[in-house]
Amino acid sequence: MTESESRHPPLVETSGLGKRYGSITAVRDLNISVRRGEVYGFLGPNGAGKTTTLRMLLGLIKPSSGTAKVLGKEPGSPLGLQGIGALVESPAFYPYLSGRDNLRVMARYCGVPHERVAEVLGQVELAGRSKDKFKKYSLGMKQRLGVAAALLKDPELLILDEPTNGLDPKGMADMRTLIRRVGHGERTVLLSSHLLGEVEQVCDRVGVIHKGELLIEGTVEELRGGGGILVKVEPIDEARKIAADLAWVEGARIEDGMLVLDTDPENAAEINAHLVSAGLRVSELRPVARSLEDAFLELTRGETV
Amino acid sequence: MLASLGAELLKLRKRPSTWVLGCIWLAVTILLNYTLAYALLSNAPPPTVPEGTPKAQREQLREQQEEFREQQLEFLYPENLVSNLTPGFANLGAPIALILGALAVGSEYGWTTFKTVLTQRPGRLALFFGKLLALGILLALLVVLTFAAGAASGYVIAGLENAPAGWPAAGELASAIGAGGLILAVWAALGVLLATLLRSTALSIGIGLVYSLVLETIIFSLPIPNEAFRNAREYFPGQNSTFLADSFSGQTQTGFAPPEPPVDASQAALVLLAYAAAFILLAALVFGRRDVT
Repeated sequence: MTESESRHPPLVETSGLGKRYGSITAVRDLNISVRRGEVYGFLGPNGAGKTTTLRMLLGLIKPSSGTAKVLGKEPGSPLGLQGIGALVESPAFYPYLSGRDNLRVMARYCGVPHERVAEVLGQVELAGRSKDKFKKYSLGMKQRLGVAAALLKDPELLILDEPTNGLDPKGMADMRTLIRRVGHGERTVLLSSHLLGEVEQVCDRVGVIHKGELLIEGTVEELRGGGGILVKVEPIDEARKIAADLAWVEGARIEDGMLVLDTDPENAAEINAHLVSAGLRVSELRPVARSLEDAFLELTRGETV
Repeated sequence: MLASLGAELLKLRKRPSTWVLGCIWLAVTILLNYTLAYALLSNAPPPTVPEGTPKAQREQLREQQEEFREQQLEFLYPENLVSNLTPGFANLGAPIALILGALAVGSEYGWTTFKTVLTQRPGRLALFFGKLLALGILLALLVVLTFAAGAASGYVIAGLENAPAGWPAAGELASAIGAGGLILAVWAALGVLLATLLRSTALSIGIGLVYSLVLETIIFSLPIPNEAFRNAREYFPGQNSTFLADSFSGQTQTGFAPPEPPVDASQAALVLLAYAAAFILLAALVFGRRDVT
C-alpha cells in the first residue's frame, strides 16, 4: 500500500468476492479497488458479472464468498449507503407518480430536505418535465431521473450501471456529458459499461471483467499498453536488425511493408537518428496507439463486447 | 423507520388503487347495509293474505309486518351501528385488505422499485416495517371512515323515519373498531406475505382470494361428521375472522342474529393476532434475507 493509499483508503475494495447461483458462477474471486476522486470504468461484455458485482456492493444481493467494503462499511448498511448514489440497470420508479413526486419519495427514504429535489431536477435538466408522470417519460428522461435520484444525497460515491443502455446516439452523448459533469471534483464514480468508447472517453481507471473474473485493472493507458512506432524505411530488413538491437525496443517485426516497433512512442526521435545515421532512408515514422478495443480483444482472446 | 413511513404514506396517498379500493369498500358497505336495506324496507309490499281471511286476523298480520319493519329499521339506526357494520369486515373487508397488502409489496417487485429504494438509505427491515406501519394507518383510517359513514347513514335514516337517533356505547364502538382493524390487518398481512414469497402482485392476489373466498368456506361446509374436523375451524383465519365479526351482531334485538360462534370473541382475536404476527414475521424474515434481483 502506498503512502497515498494509506492516507486515502479505497472507497470500494473487494477481496475474493464471488457469487454463485446453483451451479452457475456469476462472479469469481473478484478483487477491485476504486480510489477517491476517480472515474472507474467497470468494463465487460453483457453477462460478464458487472451488474451482479454492483448489486453485491450495494447490498442488494449477498455474496457467496469473499468480502467487500464500500466507504469503509459493509455493503447495504444504512451508514454506508448514506454516501452512495446508485443507478442499477434500468431506472425503476413508480409509474403513477410524477418525476418530482418520485424524487420526493426517494428524498423521504434517504432523509434529505425536499429542496434538494428541485436542485437535482435542475442538474439533470428535467425541471421542465418534472410534473409529468414517470410512465410518460422517454427512456432518456427515465435515465436522467435515475441519475437525479442517485444525486439526491450529494453522494461521494456514484455507482452507475450501464447508464447509456438503450439510448439513441444523442441521448448517449448527453448522458456522458452529464456523467463527466457530476463526476468532477471530489466525487468518485464507478461506471459499469459494455461500451469501450464510453469507458475510454469518461474513465480514469478501468477494471475488465469477463465470465465473472477480473482480467486486468489499471489506467486506460496501462490497458492499452505502451503502443509502438510504425516506420517506413528502406531497406527494411536491415532496419529491423538495427532496431531490434536497440535497448528500448522490445520487439521489431515487418507487417504490410512497414516496420513495427514495440516501444514507447517517445523514443521516435532516437530511433529515427539511429536509422538515418546507419544510412537508411526513413520516409515515414509515426506512433501507433493501441485502442482499448485491441487491448480488450487481446484480453478476452477475441470475444467481442 | 419514520423516514420510510413518510415515503410510504406519500406513495399510498398518491396511488390511485388505494382510493379505488377504499371507495369501493365504503360505497358497497353503505349501499348494502343502509341504502338497499332501507329501500327494501320502505317499499315492502303488504302481506299476501288468502281470500276470506277474517278482518281481525288480517289486521294482526298487518301489525306483525309493521312490527317486523320497525325492528329492521331500528337495525339501521346509529345505535345499532356496531352490529350492522362489523360482520362486513370478515366478508368484503378481508379481500379488500388482502389486495391492499399484496399491492403494497407485490407492485414493488413488479416495477423493480425495491432496488431503487434500498439503495437510498433505509435498511431492509426499516423499509419493511415502515411499509407495514403505513398500511396499518391506512387500514385504521378505513375502519374509522366505515363507522363514520355508517353513523352518518344511520342518522339520515333515523331522521327520515322521525326516530330518535341514539349512539352505541363508546366501549362497544371502540371494541368494534379494534376488531375490524384486527380482521383487516390479518388479511393485509397475508397479502404482504404472499406477495413477498411470490414476488408478484397478480399471483398473490389470486391465491389469497381463492383461499379467503373459496377454500376455507368450501372445506368447512363439507358435511363431515367428525368432531376433530369441526373443532379445526377454531384455528383458521377465515373462520376466526367470521367468529370475531359475528360476535358483535348478537346485540341486535331483531331475532335474526347468526348462530352463536363456537369460540368467544377474545379467543378469536387471539388466534387472529397469532396469525398476523406469524405472517408478518415470516414475510420480514424472507424480505430481510433474500436477494433483490
